[in-house]
Amino acid sequence: MSTTTATYTCRYCRMGSDGSGTSCPFCGAPVNIKDRVTDSGWEEQPPIKDMAKIQMGQSSCQVSGKYVPVADMGLAGEDSVYFSHHVLLWAEPSVQMTTMPMKGAWNRSFAGMPLVMMQAKGPGHIAFSHDDPGETLAVPLQHGQAIDVHEHRFLVATGNVTYDWFQSGIWYTTQNGDDTEYHFPLGQFLDRYVAQGGPGLLLLHSPGNVFVRDLQEGQAICIQPSSLVYKDPSVGMQLHIEYPAGGLFGSYNNRTVWLRMWGPGRVAIQSVFEPPESPNNITNHSRATTQRWG
Amino acid sequence: MDRIECQWCKAQNDADKKTCDTCGAPLDAHNLVTDSGWREAPRLKDMTEFRFSSSTCQVEGEIVPVAELNLAQGDSVFFEHHVLLWKEETVPLSTQNTGGGIKRMLGGMPHIISIASGPGRIAFSRDATGEVVVLPLHPSMELDVRGHSFLLGSHTITYSFVQLKGMVNVLHGGEGMFMDRFVTAGEPGILLLHGYGNVFERVLGDGEKILVEPGGFLYKDSSVQMNVKQQDVKTGMMRKGMYLAEMVGPGRVGIQSMYVHHGE
Repeated sequence: MSTTTATYTCRYCRMGSDGSGTSCPFCGAPVNIKDRVTDSGWEEQPPIKDMAKIQMGQSSCQVSGKYVPVADMGLAGEDSVYFSHHVLLWAEPSVQMTTMPMKGAWNRSFAGMPLVMMQAKGPGHIAFSHDDPGETLAVPLQHGQAIDVHEHRFLVATGNVTYDWFQSGIWYTTQNGDDTEYHFPLGQFLDRYVAQGGPGLLLLHSPGNVFVRDLQEGQAICIQPSSLVYKDPSVGMQLHIEYPAGGLFGSYNNRTVWLRMWGPGRVAIQSVFEPPESPNNITNHSRATTQRWG
Repeated sequence: MDRIECQWCKAQNDADKKTCDTCGAPLDAHNLVTDSGWREAPRLKDMTEFRFSSSTCQVEGEIVPVAELNLAQGDSVFFEHHVLLWKEETVPLSTQNTGGGIKRMLGGMPHIISIASGPGRIAFSRDATGEVVVLPLHPSMELDVRGHSFLLGSHTITYSFVQLKGMVNVLHGGEGMFMDRFVTAGEPGILLLHGYGNVFERVLGDGEKILVEPGGFLYKDSSVQMNVKQQDVKTGMMRKGMYLAEMVGPGRVGIQSMYVHHGE
């Protein structure tokens, strides 16, 4: 990707371009659409326009479809992308596919994450889609820029974006008889992607709709843990457990487990999520704030 | 008088028409074709109406679309019974055995299909986000369709099935043991499919190949050869669990963008 004379800055990916097309050349977001910001400050990420093209050096990505979008990558020469094999929809026979082993195979297997990433090298076309109605998000990364992504949101990334993962550190335990049950409402791991040696492109898939906001220094917000799509690494997070007022015993069962996030940095959430499971009392947890009402 | 050819089904329409009389595709919209040659199935406008035989079909809703038929006297359609959404009480229903009973049952496929006959109104939908794909079949056509993907077919179409050959195709093809086959003889017919997610079609030239995730396959002309092949890449610590369907032209191939991956 190359930055042209920037007269237009995309409000979603923050990349500069000449703004002459109908969509941002770096993330595919429509150009010059009206702000879609809720009163509370969440900005709705507009779906990538059907057939919009994103340029990645000599290669390109075209996103098609409305309900379950398909990312069709036209890989030039030696350009490569990597992905988890279950998102591959089709490929031309000229595309070479190899494997990219991951470190920490045992832990990844235990957490239900893919052990091996596939790598596809050009020339040729190859396409990807997820199995949920939702939106494909293009997240262009500047050289050295990093982003933390919720597990299972990843669709595909260009070869120069490194992939690493770390313990989310968000957990709690409940007691079920003699058994201690561990819960990871954000997933056991978070993925971290960093662009190296130049700009890179990361494509994510989010079930439902996506909303983004910038948290200011120290500004905090509570979200459903599984609704997180991505965040800047500068955004901090921990558990926040709320017990509602009323009821003798019921308030412990009706407690809400939030992910409390604070700025500075970007946070993106999706409108489809699963509330944390288990109604049992929380017996232990990672660093958390607690609110008891009434 | 000027005529417009529908880019999807090739039927001729009056120049003042906004949607195709035969398949409902918008006539005033550009074809949406990716650089790699996949064409989006036409997105039917809400409440689009088209004709088949002496009957009409109206497609309504955009997320989980409903196909509502007004069947004329003498016309009938066949379908799997669980896609029936509602009907007028006067519309008679009957059943027909597809043959291959035990095998079909073992394969999880219906061995009995339901038939609704006109006159009267009846409506169908499947239970997932997606698109209704309208495929008018000209005389002497054969179309192979993924199991459990057809919504309905008109009475001029013969419904049968193809048993997949080879254990790799059966175990890793994502289709199970059977693929539906729809054949027209001397008369045209209309076939409605439900594609999960979005649907794309590509026409393969003679000998042209494309590799497709088996779960993404939706339909193909029977002239297109399909073979599921194990890919020589590891998907786990020890196993090579990646299978792709090699489609070889000539003919059309339709795929859907939402599918269950069968590789694990």
